[in-house]
Amino acid sequence: MQRETRIANFILGALSALSLLLLSLPLSTPVRSLKAGTGYIFNPLAYRGEAGYRRIAGSPARIKQLLLADIENETLRAELRRGEWLATTVSALALENERLRRALVLKAPAGRSPVWVRVMERDPIHWFRSLVVDAGADRGLSLNDPVLGPRDGLLVAVGRIVDVRPNTATVLLLTDELSAAAAYLSSGTLEGLIQGQDGPRLRMNYLNAEARLSAGDSVYTSPTSATFPPDVLIGRVARVNQRDPFLTFQSVEVAPAADASSLQELIVLRARPMDGEAKPPSYTPVFPPVFVPAVSTAPAASSAPAVSSAPAISTAPARPRRRAPAPAAVKPPQASSEEAAFEAVDPEEPR
Amino acid sequence: MISFVRGAVVFVFAMFLQWWWNAHFSYWGAAPQFLLVLTILIAARRGPILGMLAGFGWGLYLDVARAELFGSSALILTLAAYAVGVARRQIDLRAAGPLAATTFLSTWAAFLGLGLLGLVFTKSFEWSGWIAVLATPFLNVGAVVAASLLWDAREGR
Repeated sequence: MQRETRIANFILGALSALSLLLLSLPLSTPVRSLKAGTGYIFNPLAYRGEAGYRRIAGSPARIKQLLLADIENETLRAELRRGEWLATTVSALALENERLRRALVLKAPAGRSPVWVRVMERDPIHWFRSLVVDAGADRGLSLNDPVLGPRDGLLVAVGRIVDVRPNTATVLLLTDELSAAAAYLSSGTLEGLIQGQDGPRLRMNYLNAEARLSAGDSVYTSPTSATFPPDVLIGRVARVNQRDPFLTFQSVEVAPAADASSLQELIVLRARPMDGEAKPPSYTPVFPPVFVPAVSTAPAASSAPAVSSAPAISTAPARPRRRAPAPAAVKPPQASSEEAAFEAVDPEEPR
Repeated sequence: MISFVRGAVVFVFAMFLQWWWNAHFSYWGAAPQFLLVLTILIAARRGPILGMLAGFGWGLYLDVARAELFGSSALILTLAAYAVGVARRQIDLRAAGPLAATTFLSTWAAFLGLGLLGLVFTKSFEWSGWIAVLATPFLNVGAVVAASLLWDAREGR
């Protein structure tokens, strides 16, 4: 105990002396050095402590910001997903709008009651054979109604209805092996039978054996077709097949105007409208322009047939020009409503 | 070795605590003087030698922050530790009451000592203000009681 007291007294004396020395000589070099050294040791404590304190003190706010940022991030992700979905929807709607807008300029054939339908289902195994549309008996579709499709501002032949259900119907495509339709080539009076081959191409048979055929000719439905209105574009001649000496006719391969893989909206030409629907416009006789002599002011009206005075002919919307069609080949339009004249706008064809 | 490291940690942590409290929780100069409180506590529990050494070091730390009177806090804390070391022979400073009373009186004595040192060495009594002088003893008592309880709890008493 005494020893501890002595040591304590000694330490007290030493430290007190040192303190008094520091107090007495505040401006002396050793004291200033000691103060500087002490400050060098202790100041980082406050400096680092302050920095650490600020960091720790800011932690709740940072955690809050982190949580808010996470919530905002999730919200923005959801909005982004919604935006992507909306963009996709808008894009699809824009495409659809464009298609429908183009389709609006198309004129349905007189005497027919058109109805727009959507392609609802395709069978991948039978891609070129048939498809299902979202309209059936509920919208007045009936068997053998011709089905057309828009293509570059033009209605082109697609197929015909072969099965009608209450809300859906099956369309047999022209490319199906069982499809056939009377058709003619735009380069002449040649008529033939267009047939499907279960592939992307059609085949036109029974063409005059002596005729000179060339690729690129347009193929239109013939007025003799029992299903399609006349003068509806089917496609273009892609290749002239080599003549078979054992056959009495020629054949060509036809690239269909309607691409089976891109069909989305179709128009079905119903024989009659449904109850409550507006009746289709009455049929106006339309004859091939070849019968129209100078519509101008020919005084010798007596030499012109009566139809030559029909101004509708010269102003009629473009219809495929048939070169020297045989008058007999054109059935009287009133003979059958299914074979009523069809006016299609074909910008590519000269008027 | 472990006790040395532990003592060093306590030494540094006490300075950090003092700085932290002074910097962020001191109002009108009223703040618990943790370094004084710990000096008293160490002197009461471990004897005056350790208390004086710790107090002198902590005093230097306090003096570094002052523009003048470098050494005054070191001297005051050294004297406080010595005084408590002397008092612990007569009083049981392990008890909370005597320890609180000692701390209370030591706080005022420290204020007085600092003022007198200022008067001697700078010719002006260093007055800390009424709020600090009146409030700090109570804060110190609270601090020393809390520290004493922690110490006892750690030693399993």
